[in-house]
Amino acid sequence: MGEPINCREAAERLQDFLKQELTPELEAEMQAHLERCRPCFDEARFEANFVLMLEVRARRVECPAALRARIARLLQSEMERG
Amino acid sequence: MAEPSTAGRQFNAEALPHLDALYRTALRLTGDPSQAEDLVQDTMLKAYRAWRQYQPGTNAKGWLLTILRNTFINDYRRRKLEPIATDLELVEPHALYRAIEDVDPEGAFFAKIVDEKVLEAIDALPPDFREVLVLSDMEGMSYGEIAEALEIPVGTVKSRLFRARRLLQSSLYAYAVETGIIPPRENHDG
Repeated sequence: MGEPINCREAAERLQDFLKQELTPELEAEMQAHLERCRPCFDEARFEANFVLMLEVRARRVECPAALRARIARLLQSEMERG
Repeated sequence: MAEPSTAGRQFNAEALPHLDALYRTALRLTGDPSQAEDLVQDTMLKAYRAWRQYQPGTNAKGWLLTILRNTFINDYRRRKLEPIATDLELVEPHALYRAIEDVDPEGAFFAKIVDEKVLEAIDALPPDFREVLVLSDMEGMSYGEIAEALEIPVGTVKSRLFRARRLLQSSLYAYAVETGIIPPRENHDG
Protein backbone atom coordinates (compact mmCIF):
# COMPACT_ATOMS: atom_id res chain seq x y z
CA MET A 1 0.00 0.00 0.00
CA GLY A 2 1.12 3.55 -0.79
CA GLU A 3 1.66 6.58 1.41
CA PRO A 4 -1.21 7.77 3.58
CA ILE A 5 -3.29 10.34 1.72
CA ASN A 6 -4.59 13.60 3.13
CA CYS A 7 -8.11 15.03 3.14
CA ARG A 8 -7.62 17.05 -0.03
CA GLU A 9 -6.48 13.97 -1.94
CA ALA A 10 -9.35 12.00 -0.46
CA ALA A 11 -11.82 14.64 -1.64
CA GLU A 12 -10.34 14.51 -5.13
CA ARG A 13 -10.75 10.74 -5.22
CA LEU A 14 -14.19 10.57 -3.67
CA GLN A 15 -16.20 10.47 -6.89
CA ASP A 16 -14.04 7.76 -8.46
CA PHE A 17 -14.12 5.83 -5.21
CA LEU A 18 -17.90 5.83 -5.03
CA LYS A 19 -18.04 4.85 -8.70
CA GLN A 20 -15.65 1.97 -7.89
CA GLU A 21 -13.31 3.18 -10.57
CA LEU A 22 -10.12 3.49 -8.53
CA THR A 23 -7.25 1.06 -9.02
CA PRO A 24 -7.00 -1.44 -6.14
CA GLU A 25 -4.02 0.44 -4.74
CA LEU A 26 -5.70 3.86 -4.79
CA GLU A 27 -8.85 2.33 -3.40
CA ALA A 28 -6.97 0.78 -0.49
CA GLU A 29 -5.39 4.17 0.29
CA MET A 30 -8.82 5.77 0.21
CA GLN A 31 -10.30 3.09 2.48
CA ALA A 32 -7.46 3.57 4.93
CA HIS A 33 -8.06 7.32 4.98
CA LEU A 34 -11.81 6.96 5.49
CA GLU A 35 -11.24 4.57 8.37
CA ARG A 36 -9.27 7.11 10.32
CA CYS A 37 -10.85 10.39 9.19
CA ARG A 38 -14.38 10.91 10.45
CA PRO A 39 -15.14 14.13 8.50
CA CYS A 40 -14.15 12.52 5.19
CA PHE A 41 -16.05 9.36 6.11
CA ASP A 42 -19.17 11.42 6.82
CA GLU A 43 -18.87 13.27 3.55
CA ALA A 44 -18.40 10.03 1.64
CA ARG A 45 -21.50 8.59 3.33
CA PHE A 46 -23.54 11.66 2.38
CA GLU A 47 -22.51 11.40 -1.27
CA ALA A 48 -23.02 7.62 -1.31
CA ASN A 49 -26.54 8.04 0.10
CA PHE A 50 -27.31 10.56 -2.60
CA VAL A 51 -26.22 8.26 -5.41
CA LEU A 52 -28.04 5.32 -3.85
CA MET A 53 -31.19 7.43 -3.69
CA LEU A 54 -30.93 8.09 -7.44
CA GLU A 55 -30.50 4.42 -8.18
CA VAL A 56 -33.56 3.53 -6.10
CA ARG A 57 -35.69 6.15 -7.88
CA ALA A 58 -34.56 4.87 -11.26
CA ARG A 59 -35.49 1.28 -10.46
CA ARG A 60 -39.09 2.22 -9.74
CA VAL A 61 -39.72 3.28 -13.33
CA GLU A 62 -40.61 0.31 -15.52
CA CYS A 63 -41.28 -0.19 -19.18
CA PRO A 64 -45.09 -0.12 -19.68
CA ALA A 65 -46.57 -3.54 -20.41
CA ALA A 66 -48.28 -2.27 -23.58
CA LEU A 67 -44.95 -1.08 -24.98
CA ARG A 68 -43.31 -4.36 -24.07
CA ALA A 69 -46.03 -6.25 -25.96
CA ARG A 70 -45.85 -3.90 -28.96
CA ILE A 71 -42.08 -4.40 -29.21
CA ALA A 72 -42.42 -8.19 -28.91
CA ARG A 73 -44.92 -8.17 -31.81
CA LEU A 74 -42.71 -5.92 -33.93
CA LEU A 75 -39.66 -8.07 -33.36
CA GLN A 76 -41.66 -11.19 -34.11
CA SER A 77 -42.73 -9.87 -37.51
CA GLU A 78 -39.21 -8.60 -38.17
CA MET A 79 -37.84 -12.06 -37.38
CA GLU A 80 -40.37 -13.75 -39.62
CA ARG A 81 -39.26 -11.56 -42.50
CA GLY A 82 -35.77 -12.94 -41.87
CA MET B 1 -46.94 -17.91 -34.79
CA ALA B 2 -43.63 -19.07 -36.24
CA GLU B 3 -40.79 -19.98 -33.88
CA PRO B 4 -38.05 -17.33 -33.81
CA SER B 5 -34.74 -18.33 -35.35
CA THR B 6 -31.67 -18.94 -33.21
CA ALA B 7 -30.54 -15.35 -33.81
CA GLY B 8 -34.00 -14.13 -32.89
CA ARG B 9 -34.06 -16.13 -29.70
CA GLN B 10 -30.59 -14.89 -28.79
CA PHE B 11 -31.64 -11.33 -29.40
CA ASN B 12 -34.74 -11.72 -27.26
CA ALA B 13 -32.74 -13.29 -24.46
CA GLU B 14 -30.03 -10.62 -24.49
CA ALA B 15 -32.02 -7.49 -25.26
CA LEU B 16 -35.48 -7.83 -23.74
CA PRO B 17 -34.27 -7.88 -20.11
CA HIS B 18 -33.02 -4.31 -20.66
CA LEU B 19 -36.35 -2.80 -21.70
CA ASP B 20 -36.85 -1.18 -18.29
CA ALA B 21 -33.44 0.48 -18.49
CA LEU B 22 -34.07 1.60 -22.06
CA TYR B 23 -37.46 3.03 -21.23
CA ARG B 24 -36.21 4.84 -18.13
CA THR B 25 -33.35 6.39 -20.04
CA ALA B 26 -35.60 7.31 -22.97
CA LEU B 27 -37.98 9.00 -20.56
CA ARG B 28 -35.21 11.08 -19.03
CA LEU B 29 -33.73 12.01 -22.43
CA THR B 30 -36.98 12.97 -24.14
CA GLY B 31 -38.92 14.15 -21.10
CA ASP B 32 -42.08 12.81 -22.73
CA PRO B 33 -43.69 9.35 -22.27
CA SER B 34 -44.99 8.96 -25.80
CA GLN B 35 -41.70 10.04 -27.37
CA ALA B 36 -39.92 7.72 -24.97
CA GLU B 37 -42.03 4.80 -26.17
CA ASP B 38 -41.26 5.58 -29.82
CA LEU B 39 -37.59 5.94 -29.01
CA VAL B 40 -37.43 2.57 -27.26
CA GLN B 41 -39.28 0.90 -30.13
CA ASP B 42 -36.96 2.44 -32.75
CA THR B 43 -33.96 1.44 -30.66
CA MET B 44 -35.06 -2.19 -30.42
CA LEU B 45 -35.67 -2.44 -34.17
CA LYS B 46 -32.29 -0.88 -34.97
CA ALA B 47 -30.62 -3.12 -32.44
CA TYR B 48 -32.20 -6.21 -33.94
CA ARG B 49 -31.09 -5.21 -37.44
CA ALA B 50 -27.57 -4.54 -36.17
CA TRP B 51 -27.51 -7.72 -34.11
CA ARG B 52 -24.86 -9.36 -36.26
CA GLN B 53 -22.40 -6.60 -35.41
CA TYR B 54 -22.90 -7.17 -31.75
CA GLN B 55 -20.42 -9.44 -30.05
CA PRO B 56 -22.28 -11.79 -27.72
CA GLY B 57 -20.85 -11.70 -24.24
CA THR B 58 -20.07 -8.00 -24.33
CA ASN B 59 -22.19 -5.56 -22.39
CA ALA B 60 -25.63 -5.76 -24.01
CA LYS B 61 -27.08 -3.02 -21.85
CA GLY B 62 -24.31 -0.58 -22.75
CA TRP B 63 -24.66 -1.48 -26.43
CA LEU B 64 -28.42 -0.92 -26.39
CA LEU B 65 -28.15 2.34 -24.46
CA THR B 66 -25.58 3.55 -26.99
CA ILE B 67 -28.00 2.86 -29.85
CA LEU B 68 -30.78 4.55 -27.89
CA ARG B 69 -28.71 7.61 -27.25
CA ASN B 70 -27.53 7.88 -30.87
CA THR B 71 -31.09 7.47 -32.12
CA PHE B 72 -32.17 10.19 -29.74
CA ILE B 73 -29.46 12.56 -30.95
CA ASN B 74 -30.06 11.88 -34.63
CA ASP B 75 -33.82 11.61 -34.80
CA TYR B 76 -35.31 13.16 -31.70
CA ARG B 77 -33.10 15.99 -30.60
CA ARG B 78 -33.52 18.67 -33.19
CA ARG B 79 -31.06 21.07 -31.67
CA LYS B 80 -27.32 20.71 -31.68
CA LEU B 81 -25.52 20.12 -28.40
CA GLU B 82 -26.44 22.98 -26.17
CA PRO B 83 -23.56 25.47 -26.00
CA ILE B 84 -24.65 26.43 -22.51
CA ALA B 85 -23.14 23.20 -21.21
CA THR B 86 -19.68 24.39 -22.16
CA ASP B 87 -20.12 27.44 -19.95
CA LEU B 88 -21.48 25.35 -17.14
CA GLU B 89 -18.39 23.18 -17.24
CA LEU B 90 -16.52 26.17 -15.87
CA VAL B 91 -18.93 26.68 -13.01
CA GLU B 92 -17.85 25.18 -9.72
CA PRO B 93 -21.11 24.62 -7.87
CA HIS B 94 -20.71 24.57 -4.10
CA ALA B 95 -20.78 21.33 -2.18
CA LEU B 96 -24.13 20.92 -0.49
CA TYR B 97 -22.66 18.63 2.16
CA ARG B 98 -20.52 21.40 3.62
CA ALA B 99 -23.55 23.64 3.92
CA ILE B 100 -25.84 21.18 5.66
CA GLU B 101 -23.56 18.76 7.49
CA ASP B 102 -24.74 20.13 10.84
CA VAL B 103 -28.46 19.74 10.10
CA ASP B 104 -28.53 16.63 7.94
CA PRO B 105 -25.15 14.90 7.82
CA GLU B 106 -26.53 11.76 6.15
CA GLY B 107 -28.55 13.53 3.50
CA ALA B 108 -31.74 12.00 4.89
CA PHE B 109 -33.80 14.74 3.28
CA PHE B 110 -33.14 13.31 -0.21
CA ALA B 111 -35.20 10.25 0.66
CA LYS B 112 -38.14 12.40 1.77
CA ILE B 113 -38.63 13.96 -1.64
CA VAL B 114 -41.20 12.12 -3.77
CA ASP B 115 -39.99 10.30 -6.90
CA GLU B 116 -41.81 12.65 -9.21
CA LYS B 117 -39.95 15.71 -7.89
CA VAL B 118 -36.58 14.00 -8.06
CA LEU B 119 -37.21 13.01 -11.67
CA GLU B 120 -38.40 16.52 -12.49
CA ALA B 121 -35.20 17.95 -11.07
CA ILE B 122 -33.16 15.52 -13.17
CA ASP B 123 -35.13 16.48 -16.27
CA ALA B 124 -34.34 20.14 -15.58
CA LEU B 125 -30.56 19.57 -15.75
CA PRO B 126 -28.77 20.73 -18.90
CA PRO B 127 -29.00 17.84 -21.42
CA ASP B 128 -25.27 17.10 -21.57
CA PHE B 129 -25.13 16.79 -17.80
CA ARG B 130 -28.39 14.94 -17.51
CA GLU B 131 -27.43 12.14 -19.88
CA VAL B 132 -24.18 11.45 -18.03
CA LEU B 133 -25.96 11.41 -14.67
CA VAL B 134 -28.69 9.10 -15.96
CA LEU B 135 -26.27 6.62 -17.53
CA SER B 136 -23.97 6.64 -14.52
CA ASP B 137 -26.14 6.93 -11.46
CA MET B 138 -29.44 5.54 -12.65
CA GLU B 139 -28.20 2.85 -15.03
CA GLY B 140 -24.88 2.02 -13.43
CA MET B 141 -22.66 2.43 -16.50
CA SER B 142 -18.92 2.87 -15.95
CA TYR B 143 -16.95 5.95 -17.03
CA GLY B 144 -15.53 3.98 -19.94
CA GLU B 145 -18.91 2.76 -21.15
CA ILE B 146 -20.37 6.27 -20.96
CA ALA B 147 -17.39 7.77 -22.77
CA GLU B 148 -17.84 5.25 -25.55
CA ALA B 149 -21.59 5.75 -25.78
CA LEU B 150 -21.36 9.54 -25.87
CA GLU B 151 -18.09 9.72 -27.81
CA ILE B 152 -16.49 12.05 -25.29
CA PRO B 153 -13.29 11.65 -23.26
CA VAL B 154 -13.44 9.95 -19.86
CA GLY B 155 -12.29 13.21 -18.24
CA THR B 156 -15.34 14.97 -19.65
CA VAL B 157 -17.60 12.21 -18.33
CA LYS B 158 -16.12 12.70 -14.88
CA SER B 159 -16.43 16.46 -14.82
CA ARG B 160 -19.98 16.41 -16.19
CA LEU B 161 -20.99 13.82 -13.61
CA PHE B 162 -19.42 15.88 -10.84
CA ARG B 163 -21.29 19.01 -11.89
CA ALA B 164 -24.54 17.19 -12.64
CA ARG B 165 -24.58 15.78 -9.12
CA ARG B 166 -23.83 19.14 -7.57
CA LEU B 167 -26.50 20.91 -9.60
CA LEU B 168 -29.04 18.24 -8.76
CA GLN B 169 -28.22 18.35 -5.06
CA SER B 170 -28.62 22.12 -5.03
CA SER B 171 -31.95 22.01 -6.79
CA LEU B 172 -33.29 19.22 -4.55
CA TYR B 173 -32.11 21.13 -1.51
CA ALA B 174 -33.85 24.30 -2.70
CA TYR B 175 -37.03 22.30 -3.22
CA ALA B 176 -36.73 20.70 0.23
CA VAL B 177 -36.33 24.08 1.92
CA GLU B 178 -39.22 25.55 -0.05
CA THR B 179 -41.58 22.76 0.95
CA GLY B 180 -40.42 22.58 4.57
CA ILE B 181 -38.85 19.11 4.26
CA ILE B 182 -35.68 20.55 5.69
CA PRO B 183 -35.37 23.73 7.76
CA PRO B 184 -33.59 26.64 6.08
CA ARG B 185 -29.97 27.13 7.01
CA GLU B 186 -29.47 29.33 10.04
CA ASN B 187 -27.03 32.14 9.98
CA HIS B 188 -24.29 31.30 12.40
CA ASP B 189 -22.65 34.71 12.27
CA GLY B 190 -21.27 35.92 15.58
